Amino acid sequence: MGDTVTEVHDLDPQVFLEEVHSFEFWFEAVRGYLDGLEHGHRPETPEAEFTEGERERLVTVLCHYCIGETAALEGAGGLIQIAPNRAGKVFLSTQAVDEGRHLEVLLHRLRELGVAEPEAEIERRGSRSLLEFKRRLGELVRSRDWVAAIFAQNVVLESMEFASFHIHMQRADPRTKEMLAAIVKDERRHIGFGENELGRRLKEAPYARERLRAVRDELDGLVMRSFEETMDAIGTPRSERSELGRQYHSAVERLGFAR
Amino acid sequence: MSGGEPLLEDEIREDRPRQRFVLDDQGFDEVPKKYRRFYRRWRGPEDTLGPNEALCPVCRIVVRSTRELRPGDRVYCMACMTRLEIVRSDAGHLEAHVVY
Repeated sequence: MGDTVTEVHDLDPQVFLEEVHSFEFWFEAVRGYLDGLEHGHRPETPEAEFTEGERERLVTVLCHYCIGETAALEGAGGLIQIAPNRAGKVFLSTQAVDEGRHLEVLLHRLRELGVAEPEAEIERRGSRSLLEFKRRLGELVRSRDWVAAIFAQNVVLESMEFASFHIHMQRADPRTKEMLAAIVKDERRHIGFGENELGRRLKEAPYARERLRAVRDELDGLVMRSFEETMDAIGTPRSERSELGRQYHSAVERLGFAR
Repeated sequence: MSGGEPLLEDEIREDRPRQRFVLDDQGFDEVPKKYRRFYRRWRGPEDTLGPNEALCPVCRIVVRSTRELRPGDRVYCMACMTRLEIVRSDAGHLEAHVVY
């Protein structure tokens, strides 16, 4: 692809897919918003002054996020092995790098907040629903169930993270807000990859919808409980939680297996 | 409206030539630089889309074209890697639907 593009929408569909799934595209995209950041935020961004209660709640939320990102990192790494084509494997390698970065900046943020041993803190404060989701996602990946695993990882988990981070950003302290803003930009690619991959699979094999409906029925409860636990810890009023799940439910509706 | 500068003031009738637009970079930094002018952030329900713009239903980014969009057009959202088709809604508005 040259340096000048007269009309991007004239690209051949196959050329478009090869371009957006490429490592080259990913590298140029992330450089646009990660250049100048250190550990996920600009070095000059001041630390907020927290009350002890605010700090405690933020540490709990970040511990939840660490579990979600660990699940996403392990999931993306495992999905590379079972992706049905090489372009998908290349894309998932970029996603694995994204998830590794997310986990690293979250752990660093915990240390900035005075958490001496983040691993132990995550163990102590971790959301049970998220841990159960992580366990189930691992099973789906290990069983090489591509459509179920990509649905759980790139539609369910990524949508949940996208919505949580987006809502949290509205109230977050400056450093956490910058860190989440960059993560959300990565999540957009992951969500799109998952929905489009599933959409193409379902066109070829509509019977897979029943399998996905069963996975959705199993995971819905865990997803919504995780949402609620995180929103409680952030302190988001119930009246402001309507965006929660919108992305997830819209995707499921577009893919044709809404309730 | 923030679709860009129209080059021609044609009527927005589907049997007439399409309006053309010069796109400027509006700071959308989630795609490589050479593609940035084709996208911008959505500013919420009060944001008015130009005749060359469509909202991606997957990731809520505004997709921009150098041409006025019409039903049946195919456009790409590079932010979430989605192919979209422009359709006219029951209410008469242009909408982007996902093409898998």
